[in-house]
Amino acid sequence: MLRKLNLLFEELFIFIALLLLVAFFGVMAENFFTAGTLMAILTQLPALTVVTIGMTLVLISGGIDLSVGSVVALSGGVIGIAFTVFELPLIIAAALGILAGGCAGLVNGVLGSYFRLPVFIVTLGMLEAGRGLAYMVTDSQTVYIGASIQALSLPISGIGLSPSFIMSLTLVVLAQYALTRTIFGRYLIAIGTNEQAAKISGIRTEPYLTWVLVISGLLAGLGGLMNAAYLGASDPNAAIGLELSAIAAAVIGGTSLMGGRGSIVGAFIGVLIISVLQNGLAQLGVSEPVKRLITGLVIILAVLLDRWRSR
Amino acid sequence: MTARIAIEGLDKSFATPVLKQVALQISTGSIHGLVGENGAGKSTLINIISGLLPPDSGSMALDGKSYSPTSRKAALDAGIALASQELSLIDTLSVAENILLTSFPQRALGINRHAVRQRARVLMDLVGLEQLSPQTPLAQLSLAEKQLVELAKALSMPEDTTRLLILDEPTSALTSPQADQLHRIIKQRSASGLSVIYVSHRLDDVLSVCDTVSVLRDGVIQLTAACASLTSNDLIREMSGEELLRHSDDKPRTFGDVRLTVEQLSSVDFPEPISLHCHRGEILGIAGLAGAGRSELLHAIYGLSAERQGRVVLHAAGQDSVIDSASTAANNGMALIAEDRKSQGIFTGKTISLNTTIAGLGKLGGALSAILPRREQRVTEELIAQLKVKCEGPLQTIDKLSGGNQQKLLVARWLQAKSDVWLLDEPTRGVDVGSKLAIHDQLRQSRDQGAALLIVSSELEELTALCDRILVLSDKKAVETYHRGQWDKEMLLEAAFSNYQGVRVAAG
Repeated sequence: MLRKLNLLFEELFIFIALLLLVAFFGVMAENFFTAGTLMAILTQLPALTVVTIGMTLVLISGGIDLSVGSVVALSGGVIGIAFTVFELPLIIAAALGILAGGCAGLVNGVLGSYFRLPVFIVTLGMLEAGRGLAYMVTDSQTVYIGASIQALSLPISGIGLSPSFIMSLTLVVLAQYALTRTIFGRYLIAIGTNEQAAKISGIRTEPYLTWVLVISGLLAGLGGLMNAAYLGASDPNAAIGLELSAIAAAVIGGTSLMGGRGSIVGAFIGVLIISVLQNGLAQLGVSEPVKRLITGLVIILAVLLDRWRSR
Repeated sequence: MTARIAIEGLDKSFATPVLKQVALQISTGSIHGLVGENGAGKSTLINIISGLLPPDSGSMALDGKSYSPTSRKAALDAGIALASQELSLIDTLSVAENILLTSFPQRALGINRHAVRQRARVLMDLVGLEQLSPQTPLAQLSLAEKQLVELAKALSMPEDTTRLLILDEPTSALTSPQADQLHRIIKQRSASGLSVIYVSHRLDDVLSVCDTVSVLRDGVIQLTAACASLTSNDLIREMSGEELLRHSDDKPRTFGDVRLTVEQLSSVDFPEPISLHCHRGEILGIAGLAGAGRSELLHAIYGLSAERQGRVVLHAAGQDSVIDSASTAANNGMALIAEDRKSQGIFTGKTISLNTTIAGLGKLGGALSAILPRREQRVTEELIAQLKVKCEGPLQTIDKLSGGNQQKLLVARWLQAKSDVWLLDEPTRGVDVGSKLAIHDQLRQSRDQGAALLIVSSELEELTALCDRILVLSDKKAVETYHRGQWDKEMLLEAAFSNYQGVRVAAG
């Protein structure tokens, strides 16, 4: 029983940190507890959340996916062009965007696990290539899509939450289940902890390491859709540096960059902490440079606390 | 005259005592042999003298002055040179840089490259690497050449300050002319006052090169004597001890069908093909010295090795499966418990339950590949009870358990996966006696239930107690298979040494 509590404690710890942060801004910033702040956070959140889910899974498997930001832009570009130039139905356009993300992930995965290239380098290459493709697809122009796609990020009347937000929350729950309660998740943890022992235990590591990058690509593709919905447009310059925010959120949520350890729920709380921090600091009138300085310090602090906690 | 190095009452324990009250005196200019079976404590003793490990208690004196190095660097400064068996070389550097790594000739601004090449050249010529350029990247060298580089590195320290040279299996990869040259060098150096500790499995070499020799067994020095008065048989007898041949169950048993066939298997690590088979209900032991290719053979059978050739077949009722990868091996009932528990066995930081069920998650029987936590914990609890693992329960992390309990959990892992062909590499190394007996009992029980087991062990007593047949490897080649009742310990040791001595052992 005590052990079970201990496992819950992992997430409880950062959840308390989140509450403290909210309380802090509630006291310091006059207008923090308003519908406006909540809306701002809720509409920005879904894209980062789904991308962070993928990133967390990849990190747990012992890899890293640096290409997610570019893939978000690529997916957005594909959706925008498919919808406006080729006049495909939005649902088809969205599917193509997500699929483009999946393809990028497949290339990452195959090169990383079957060709045994370091994932760090492969996805770094994809970070450049994906961005280049996004510019090519959109002809380096922002493509206006309009109200039809924005519906995704606007609250459904009566519920108060946007379809994007509901989707991202559902995915958090599903991914947490997959990680902790399925063979797939268990194998990712095992591979990330000790790849050699996993192999000897009979796990074929290559397909799993490929799949996890495909999933990350698909989720980045979905993130592209959500981002386009939020903007009402596809911007080839979107999501630059998003991979770093996703890694930061995962790490704040207790995911180890060495692989083998992590939690989707924790990473989601990490996303919340980053959003609250960004919005709260903005309301306090903190300048952009100082915001970045503080965000950086929070990430380092999170890792320090995590190290201290796992002793 | 004071001894060059005098060791008194040295003790060292890891999980179990490795060295017990070791005392040793080596005089100035003497070449001292050190022999013993694997696990006798030779490496630990060398590591303590060369500053890599601290002793638990005891004292050392170098030329009469107290000597207690706190690091390898401190030992180097005191004049202790070491040519390690595990080669302390860096693949990405050149031969010259490797040789002079610990003593780079400096000048005002950084390394004096010209001097590096010149000094390396002299040392390379000395050890017989005349044909190589000092700038050759180390990665391009053969194993024998690397061993010579390691020697050159050990000899790179200035002659006037080097007091003791430790050579750990210096000739294991060398041809006999190369070994002869090495022996000439150390004899020359010892004539001018250098003391040498010479560790080797090649007993004939030890007897011809060394002035005195010590035999280490189970962490105790059994004998120190002048080499002139000894034969290699004397050494083997001292190394093996008398309390052998305790067969716990000596009655002949009947086996089932052949379960495992290995045909002409070879790999990058053992180029000469090896064939063997194992029946249901049989335990086949694999004996040999460290580096004889035992672990490599198990890994190749399990489908893990590079450039693997030959066939490994599992025979089950009506159907044969060819093993070509670790996953086909595991999925067809094969289990491998590798020698290095930490890097190839356990999942550090994870629960006992994860560690126990990882190979047989599919057999827990959740629908849609779901893992049912309750069922997983119950299965783990049953195995914990069956193997008497001392722990707090399935959700404890595995890290804090003793080596013995971790090893039991590895056995539990493959029991849960319902394996019936077991490859066990040193299954009880570094394990306390209680756990060892529990593991042995479990292995016998699996055998009686029809499993086929292959066991690699450096401990001959373990093999003679458990096995129905023992295959002896020597220098990466199969020497001979002995049946229960045919062997005695000296015979097995002789076979294990045979390919290092150039003496063909008669069939057992």
